Amino acid sequence: MIRSKLRLGTAVLAASALGLASCASPDEGGEAADVPGITDTTVTVGTHQPLTGPAAAGYSTISPATKAYFDYVNDKGGINGRTIEYIVKDDGYNPANTQTAVREMVLQDEVFALVGGLGTPPHSAVLDFVNDNEVPDLFVASGSPTWNQPEDYPYTYGFMVDYPTESRILATYAQEEFPEATYCFFGQDDDFGEEFQTGLEAVLGEDGLADAQVYSTANTDIAAQISSMKEAGCEVNFLATINGFSAQAVGTAAKLGYFPQWMASSAGGDFNTLSGYLGENTDKLLQGFVSANYLPGYSDTEDEWTAKFAEINEEYNAGAPFDGNTIFGMSIGYLFVEALQAAGENPTRESLMEALESGDVTGNGHAPLGFGGDSHRGYTGAMLTRVDNGVQSYFGTPYVVTGTEAEEYTVEEYTGERTAMPADGLPE
Amino acid sequence: MDRFLFLTFDGLARGAVLAAFALSLVLIWRAARIVNFAQGAMAVAATYVAFTVTAVTGSYWAGLAAALVAGFLIGAVVERGVMRFVGNTSPLNPVIAGLGLLMLIQAVLGMVFGNAYRTMVTPFSSDPVEMFGITVFSSYDLFVFACIAVLVGGLVLLFTKTPLGLRLRASAFAPDLARLLGVRTPRMLTLGWALSSALGALAALLVIPTELGLNPHAADAVFVYAFTVAVIGGLDSPAGAVLGGLAVGVLLSWVSGYWGATLAPVAILVLLLAVLLVRPGGIFSLAKERTA
Repeated sequence: MIRSKLRLGTAVLAASALGLASCASPDEGGEAADVPGITDTTVTVGTHQPLTGPAAAGYSTISPATKAYFDYVNDKGGINGRTIEYIVKDDGYNPANTQTAVREMVLQDEVFALVGGLGTPPHSAVLDFVNDNEVPDLFVASGSPTWNQPEDYPYTYGFMVDYPTESRILATYAQEEFPEATYCFFGQDDDFGEEFQTGLEAVLGEDGLADAQVYSTANTDIAAQISSMKEAGCEVNFLATINGFSAQAVGTAAKLGYFPQWMASSAGGDFNTLSGYLGENTDKLLQGFVSANYLPGYSDTEDEWTAKFAEINEEYNAGAPFDGNTIFGMSIGYLFVEALQAAGENPTRESLMEALESGDVTGNGHAPLGFGGDSHRGYTGAMLTRVDNGVQSYFGTPYVVTGTEAEEYTVEEYTGERTAMPADGLPE
Repeated sequence: MDRFLFLTFDGLARGAVLAAFALSLVLIWRAARIVNFAQGAMAVAATYVAFTVTAVTGSYWAGLAAALVAGFLIGAVVERGVMRFVGNTSPLNPVIAGLGLLMLIQAVLGMVFGNAYRTMVTPFSSDPVEMFGITVFSSYDLFVFACIAVLVGGLVLLFTKTPLGLRLRASAFAPDLARLLGVRTPRMLTLGWALSSALGALAALLVIPTELGLNPHAADAVFVYAFTVAVIGGLDSPAGAVLGGLAVGVLLSWVSGYWGATLAPVAILVLLLAVLLVRPGGIFSLAKERTA
């Protein structure tokens, strides 16, 4: 009842807006005006990001990259004559703020969709709200499998390869490469660490991890945990850590004279970011560091996507440092533009959802997206990177993980080709 | 046994910094009856000054000196510019002003220096030194101990052996009487803030290189622990702050090492609760609690 009243209010507002618009420019058609966030010349989308607060250090550069890509698209004429307006609201990674920010964007700014809302705790706080309001909630920037629940949350789509998928790939690789080694785990004491550890144990067995240690972000002194792993004789350590704590783990271990093989999640394995924490000893400390990733590598100058994104970064992002976050932000932007393009000349929320469900939206990752009618899973696989002499680059072939249940899954090499970049990095 | 020693030494190294930071809170409390919630941000601001000076001159020691000077000045400016006008009519006023200042400083630092973590150089290696057959302190830890010992020692001498220290104590404990006797209590108050802020700056400068790096929020967690230490030791008691700091550092390390990192902050809160129930003034508080 309340909702229908709201809808009525929205309709009245939209109608009056339409009236105003037609007064201002009588020759423009108005058939798209009843879709929230869509006018004849613009598409308005929103996101919530930690621009301030403790999480800002790791993530505040993502939304400027997305915006830079949108600006680039707008300069090239937009999508079907519409430019993309990107509203970025700061939530400081605080779920209470996220609720306010998202309500404002949905009810007041009337965004067409949310794109790339960041963080498991913040986004979980608005998951019900956006789905109740039937707002497309695309490409959540978090590796939690929560976003893949099409039955309960039909409007929400994932983006990142999820934690259990990533950890299965890393564990499978470790078994192939270091079959006799002692495996251990160091992770964050929340769903990130738990999901990751579950994935590892699915591959390595219940007793596959000789030592499993967790850290709390409230305490940066992790000497106790790392020394325990050293004493347990751990040789291959899996990391479910954010970048700061990956660096802290590697740095603390080095101080203890301990140099195991590290295998990190994509959430905490970005070389540029890690070197920001580790300073001048980076190259030495990260030699041989393995981590998962699925997007174009920012140091991979041969990659056409990387080259294009670097160019856009120079021109539209004021030449901000080019790193994994830049690629991440622009890839989210690209994927949205691709979906919007596929949603037709006069997109509606329904046609956008249909476009995603069709599976024709492919993105720019090394592994395929899991989008379809019964799956809203983001990238379904990953490729591994290794650091050698201060350069992080991909090696081997991508892996793809089918099935998300703990018992039923397979990890196999992915033989498909990544989608080639369309001309100018603009979806056709 | 090796592990026990390792955890204990690791805890002491961190505890020393908590002690210094808690001491800086105690200094302000004694001088002004204010728990300064902006202390962490003020210390980080001074550390950014040190970072910039070190980057420009290439000398760690110039940065260290700059942190102390900047801390001193920031403390004085905050007292003269903000806290003096807040008034003590309600104990909440300075708390709110402190929190506001905290957010303001963090936001300004973010605007000026960005939110990214910056690596800070240390003058000594952080590689551990073998002692008693196990790896314990690094030379950097020993440097931290030395710095804090020198500064705390200096403060003790200042407060107990010099005429200035006497005036500082007089204006803290009996401001009206001190003023009648010719002590310029407002100036002493400013000096108290400045000294406290300089000490906080030193603590932040020493601890940040061992953590994730320099960031507007780098002292948030340290402030919370140090505040707990100050309450546990007794907000009135400098000795309590120092001993409490070392004890909390060791407790954090033991709990984190034996029961898991998740429980470490909880253990500190349990300790805080126990102290507040059994001895609300803090373990080392003066026999008779003074009121504001």
